[in-house]
Amino acid sequence: MANQIGYYSLILGLALSFILSAVSIKDFYNNNQGINQKVLSLSFLQFFFVIISFLSLILSFVNSDFSNETVFNNSHTTKPLFYKISGTWGNHEGSLLLWLLVLTLFIFLFLIKSNEQPKKYRILTLLFQQVIIIGFFLFLLKTSNPFNYLFPIPKEGLGLNPILQDPALAIHPPILYLGYVGSSIIFSASLSAVTQNYVSKEWAQHIKKWILISWIFLTLGIMLGSIWAYYELGWGGFWFWDPVENVSLMPWLTLTALLHCVLVLERRVALTSWIIILSIATFILSMCGTFLVRSGILNSVHTFANDPERGIFILIFLFVLIFLSLGIFFLFHKENNKNLDKIFWLSKEASILINNWFLMYFLSVVLIGTTYPIFLDVISAQKISVGPPFYHKLIVPFLIPFLVFMSLGPKLNWIKSKVENKFSLIIFFIISIFLSFFILRKLTPGVLFNTVLISPAFYLFFITAKDLFIKKFKNLPQSIAHFSFSMLLLSILFNSILSLEIITNIKVGEKYNFDKGQIFFQKLEKNKNSNYNSVIGHFKINNNKGKIIYLKPELRIYNQPVTITSEADIKTTLLADTFLVMNLVKGKEYFNIRYQVKPFMIWIWISVLLLSLGGLMSLLKKKYEK
Amino acid sequence: MYGKKVKLRFLFLTLILVSVILSVFLILQSLKENVIYFQSPSEIKILVEIDKKKIRVGGMVKDQSITINTNEVNFIITDFKNEINVTYSGAVPNLFAEGKGVVAEGFLKDRNYFLATKILAKHDENYMPPEVKEAIGDK
Amino acid sequence: MKNKIFLFIIILFFIFCFIIFYKGLNNSNIYIPKLNNKKDLPIFIARDFYLETEVNSEKIFLDNNFYILNIWASWCVPCRKEHPILMELSRNKSIKLIGLNYRDNLNNAKKFIDELGNPYSQILIDEEGTLAVEFGAYGVPETFIIDKNKKIIKKFIGPLNQKLLKEIKLFLK
Repeated sequence: MANQIGYYSLILGLALSFILSAVSIKDFYNNNQGINQKVLSLSFLQFFFVIISFLSLILSFVNSDFSNETVFNNSHTTKPLFYKISGTWGNHEGSLLLWLLVLTLFIFLFLIKSNEQPKKYRILTLLFQQVIIIGFFLFLLKTSNPFNYLFPIPKEGLGLNPILQDPALAIHPPILYLGYVGSSIIFSASLSAVTQNYVSKEWAQHIKKWILISWIFLTLGIMLGSIWAYYELGWGGFWFWDPVENVSLMPWLTLTALLHCVLVLERRVALTSWIIILSIATFILSMCGTFLVRSGILNSVHTFANDPERGIFILIFLFVLIFLSLGIFFLFHKENNKNLDKIFWLSKEASILINNWFLMYFLSVVLIGTTYPIFLDVISAQKISVGPPFYHKLIVPFLIPFLVFMSLGPKLNWIKSKVENKFSLIIFFIISIFLSFFILRKLTPGVLFNTVLISPAFYLFFITAKDLFIKKFKNLPQSIAHFSFSMLLLSILFNSILSLEIITNIKVGEKYNFDKGQIFFQKLEKNKNSNYNSVIGHFKINNNKGKIIYLKPELRIYNQPVTITSEADIKTTLLADTFLVMNLVKGKEYFNIRYQVKPFMIWIWISVLLLSLGGLMSLLKKKYEK
Repeated sequence: MYGKKVKLRFLFLTLILVSVILSVFLILQSLKENVIYFQSPSEIKILVEIDKKKIRVGGMVKDQSITINTNEVNFIITDFKNEINVTYSGAVPNLFAEGKGVVAEGFLKDRNYFLATKILAKHDENYMPPEVKEAIGDK
Repeated sequence: MKNKIFLFIIILFFIFCFIIFYKGLNNSNIYIPKLNNKKDLPIFIARDFYLETEVNSEKIFLDNNFYILNIWASWCVPCRKEHPILMELSRNKSIKLIGLNYRDNLNNAKKFIDELGNPYSQILIDEEGTLAVEFGAYGVPETFIIDKNKKIIKKFIGPLNQKLLKEIKLFLK
């Protein structure tokens, strides 16, 4: 029953797309003030149908209705209710439905929140958005219908991959999609603004809110994904430069660049072409990410099951959008460069341009690193992969000037300024160099390079901290965001420099000595749970300072589907995480263990949270203060 | 005489152009150095010279070939035509087992001996990395 | 003018990207390894699906016939999809289909056969998955063709489809 309701509401939703487009085109040529009420109600109706469809899929999951193929493939009666529900979007079909849901919700919100904007601009945005929505409807119905009927009805489902049964991963996709889809609004709005020649200060103020919304969600979504990787994958890290991770980072970079550029546009009409290009690029990169992840073209640790038909559909859709936006951009856009010449080299605008340059550089590194293997494979049939060293080598050195500019940029005034308080800026710089030198000399051998790297991070940290606490609430969101970014980088840098990792094979009852302590594998305990059996290792770790830590990593053998997962045991303190994970080498009595001490892990998550808080505050602030 | 505006714009454009060229050059350069090629045991057998660069080797873990001690895991990767001995000290993924596909990353010591620095994990037990498929088949 | 050239270059660039991605996609998922040296059939003892008795492999492949060994499981979704093709194959009298039930719950497996029909002339149980390894299987489903000299001459990884069915039929002639 729920199956049919879900399916037919999807079809109704698609039909509404066409009706909505027709009605709004008619309204476009109408000389009325404001949008016809009909358009609003139709848009709401469309959202309503998609949410009905989504709810009926959730219902099928909750009831374990295995006549639905998606449920059969991804659920199981013994699964806890929470994961039954989150299983709805933990698979390809359901996640696309969620994507569609957010698309229709956002365009409806856009319509009711943009009352002061010109009518034609609003209608055109709606139309562009409908192009995207129709594309997704067709994709869903044609290649990945979540309501496929299975007959005869199987008694039991196949279960959700246990590695996906994790609270962080349960909310990761919805949050990330809010970010991705938010960028679709920016895309449609900027195309429509170009055609209406409405790229202006007012437009900047209005689109800034949407940019902030999707930026906040994207930031949080990326963080949740990396929290999942850290706790569940047991690889002892939080960022692996895996293609799927890169793909979410790319729109984040363009979005961050866009966020800063819009601040310029808010003041004066400059950089218009650049802003439009960034808005288009952000959404295209999000779509490109969907393509790369869903089509299975990339060889990554977490791709969905691949089906070439799906890949081809998204690919064609993606390029339709690219050519559409290119066409509109070249046909309608009138370059407005007369203001560019007035950008004085010592001004906030110039520093934002520098920031953009760096962000674009990081983007191209990530983009090339991610797609190069595909190109090479097709052209020369060589299989290659691009590893973390590539990214580190190209990105880390450029962080140094980036951080210095980031510390100084916000000090400058708009249009033209002089550097004030030169003295304190220099003093801070010297302090940070000395501080990082002395800290590092105590802790690690590779002092010289690390000092060069960490001092700018400290510099940014001090300067933003000073702004945050001494200048008191002058442009608070920006101070918070920059401050937490410096915190983020500091914790990442210290985390990578000071991490300790011990990997060894060990039997029950054995002790392993390393230069800073000893690991003792005390005993093995076996447990039976409802949907898995577990083996728990008891480890006692002595470090040289006489501190004793007990860690109990776990191996879980799930029965549906049969999968072994390792649950790392992580003890978190404010200073460092201790991390122990064990793996079974099949048929052998040895266990392979990985023991890690990772300093400041928790601060990475805290600073990302603060970063998005900065975004949130900026969103809630009524008017930009001068 | 060009106006100040034109000059400034010209300066701006050249700056952008130079920086773009520089960064593209830099990226491609380090791409060359950091790319990891994938090879099958059979391809390694016919190598003319042993490179010092990092590579990936893929195939199946040969039956009865895993031996393990405190410091390292030894096993044999086979593509059913040729074999290579692998020594590895590091974390082993759960799906690593005899008779299963494997991708190891590391350095080639000679044509029969590979020192792995990483074994790549995959989520799905029935999933076979495309490189491994190709290594075992088609050649 | 300048703009037009620029636009042209950009469009060319994107078309190039499109072609690359398109080709990248078409690397097919179903993969057929070419067995250079024909592999001997492993010798094993397995339990019969219905009789629950032990059978010797030599007795299974007794006739002077082509055999097709198909590894399947009730929990495997692609198996469900390839099942009609096996049913079609089973109508061909010149071959015998042997099923190898891989790491499965016997009840579920029986339900699966009851639901979808039984294309196999005999089904063997591989509860621990060891037999499949002896055949050199990577996963489920997988299909092997065994010739009259009791050699494995071909194997298909992944579900069979109409195209492969034609190939098999051609092969048997």
